[in-house]
Amino acid sequence: MTEPVLQVEGLSVDYEVGAGTFHAVQDVSFELHPGRVLGIVGETGCGKSTLAHAIPRLLQEPPARIRRGIVRFRGIDLLKLPRWQLPRVRGTGISMVFQEPINSLNPAYRIYDQVAEAIRIRRLRESGQAPGLVSPQEPFDYSKPKMPNVGEVLLKPLVPSKGPASRRPMFSKDAQDLRATVLEYLKLVRINDPDTILNLYPHELSGGMRQRVMIAIALSGRPSLLIADEPTSALDITIQAQVLTLMKELMTEIRTSILFISHDLGVIAEMADDVGVMYAGHLVELGPVDQVYRDPRHPYTKGLLRSAPSKYKSEGPLPSLPGSVPNLSRLPRGCPFHPRCVLAHADCTQDPGPKLTKAVEAAGPEHLAACYYSKEVPGIP
Amino acid sequence: MVIFVGKRLLQLVPVLFGVVTITFFFTHVAVPNPCAAWTKARTPGAVQACVVTFGFDKPLSVQYTTYLQNLISGNWGTNSVQQPVLPSILRAFPETLELVFASLLLMVVLGIPLGVVAANGAGRWPDHLVRTFYLSGWATPTYLGGLILAIVVGPALGLPYTGDFSSAKPPGWEIVHMSVIDAMLRLDPGALADAILHLILPATALAFLNMGIATRMTRGSMLEILPMDFVKTARMKGLTNFWVLYRHALRNSLISTTTVLGIAAGGLLSGTVVIENIFRWPGIGTYAFNAIIGYEFAETIGIVIVFAVGVVLANLVADVLYGLLDPRVEWR
Repeated sequence: MTEPVLQVEGLSVDYEVGAGTFHAVQDVSFELHPGRVLGIVGETGCGKSTLAHAIPRLLQEPPARIRRGIVRFRGIDLLKLPRWQLPRVRGTGISMVFQEPINSLNPAYRIYDQVAEAIRIRRLRESGQAPGLVSPQEPFDYSKPKMPNVGEVLLKPLVPSKGPASRRPMFSKDAQDLRATVLEYLKLVRINDPDTILNLYPHELSGGMRQRVMIAIALSGRPSLLIADEPTSALDITIQAQVLTLMKELMTEIRTSILFISHDLGVIAEMADDVGVMYAGHLVELGPVDQVYRDPRHPYTKGLLRSAPSKYKSEGPLPSLPGSVPNLSRLPRGCPFHPRCVLAHADCTQDPGPKLTKAVEAAGPEHLAACYYSKEVPGIP
Repeated sequence: MVIFVGKRLLQLVPVLFGVVTITFFFTHVAVPNPCAAWTKARTPGAVQACVVTFGFDKPLSVQYTTYLQNLISGNWGTNSVQQPVLPSILRAFPETLELVFASLLLMVVLGIPLGVVAANGAGRWPDHLVRTFYLSGWATPTYLGGLILAIVVGPALGLPYTGDFSSAKPPGWEIVHMSVIDAMLRLDPGALADAILHLILPATALAFLNMGIATRMTRGSMLEILPMDFVKTARMKGLTNFWVLYRHALRNSLISTTTVLGIAAGGLLSGTVVIENIFRWPGIGTYAFNAIIGYEFAETIGIVIVFAVGVVLANLVADVLYGLLDPRVEWR
């Protein structure tokens, strides 16, 4: 087994606000291996976005506070890294795509400047002029012929066109080169007329286009980890499908490791290799997507899957989970799910709650569930 | 954009007309006959001669139309000793403009970075320190702050604290009546240094007292912008905090800061009266003060006109900057 790109161990994040302390992420542990896509799925407010922001330390502290845990990215403990060194990991190490493409691009700059900035940072780092984490480990080495599709788009230098789009004076060879690279990345995300896009401002683009530009920016640092925080949730359904298809295609072209956050079980099934299910800040089940979806071993996952609309089950009302998500400032003792669980026994209400362990009689050793009665889960009607 | 500026300049005409009318009637109704104050001799004959000379015996409407006609033809009237008003205004106003520009410059180069520092350390000691600084400026009465600078700080630093320049300039030496720019135009490094030294204290006084406008606005809009997603995008590109703050966050905060500074610039024009008196700055503030005290109608209206033009232009500049800073703005 290869060294994981990202190792999260016992990560706990609180929000300290006037109303109390909210335990948004509680003792979450997982590993992300090179070239894999780990999907994190859960309801709104289950802490998945906090988890995504905590890894590159984007949380605003305060109110957020990382209580404990280890986030090890390519051997670096990010939580121990001094704040001023964090930028060196970002961009070329970890990059991120956000939920709202409306807000994630700077309204004051042209698309060209925003993409070029990311590329310029990577180049400075690659040439050793600026400190930073570059040259990804093995399966991410873009110079290797392993990713043939990337080469076509990324390696072919483009001659800058002389249309109205080249109003920006191109003085030096470097500037032309940079422009060519920007165009390559815009083409990589399937933007049809990158030359026109270059000189536009974000507000002149549609949501889908902006998200494509955002993906181009995130990829142009050639990161070894891409965090996608609900990248399609804010888009309408047809655009969502387009962006998902694009990301799916890019995944086979650029084998970067991805942490894919979504509330949509279908999207995760489509995109991810592995899936982690979050409930009330806890990671309750973790395993390969097909195993978890076919044979869920946590009662919450089971309920979640049952309540997803399916084209095969149309008779009767859609099943739903009884009860509601607990308040994150007053979590129940023991297993956070026990008040809504049909399998709950007395020991489920005792602290500490169940840890994420190998699910009993699961198909593979990597299928983990945080439930004492994971063996009985398949029996829930 | 040219059309936008042209339209806004056209709007200046009704503004000026209104301002002139209101000032004219206020002054003339409040003091129908200032001749008693104007004449030194104080004899009925002298006063009567003055009334006839300046036409105060005519109906107000006639006086008004005469004044307007003169104004349109470029004659801004004369003061009580029969001197034309326009040349003295044109001499004094640039001096004030210079002071206002210098303090605006200080407010921008010091006030805005202080706002960024405060926003970056919001709720922690840098924030409190900056707030103490600008609030103490704001809370200080102008005369007190100016006086302390003039009689304590100035001598301590060896800075000249009056508008009297160390070397008398030959007549006609001043071209635009802004000491720094005149020295530049005359290519005189000695005079330039002298001019800058003289400018430091009054400009600092004016800027310190109004620093809060730039700092507080910058801090406020920075705090609004910093949690936004595009700031996170900038961070996730690997930019250091400095560049995230100044290239991405500040760039967007400036949009609101410039608007406020534009309005403040208009306010600074009139806020210079006390500062000019303390530092004996030969600007329009002192001139305006004396004009109002002495019932100098023509001077007062003339000053009001240049102030109105100044305020409108300051706002126009702010609006143009706003449009240049924010690409989402359409020129209309």
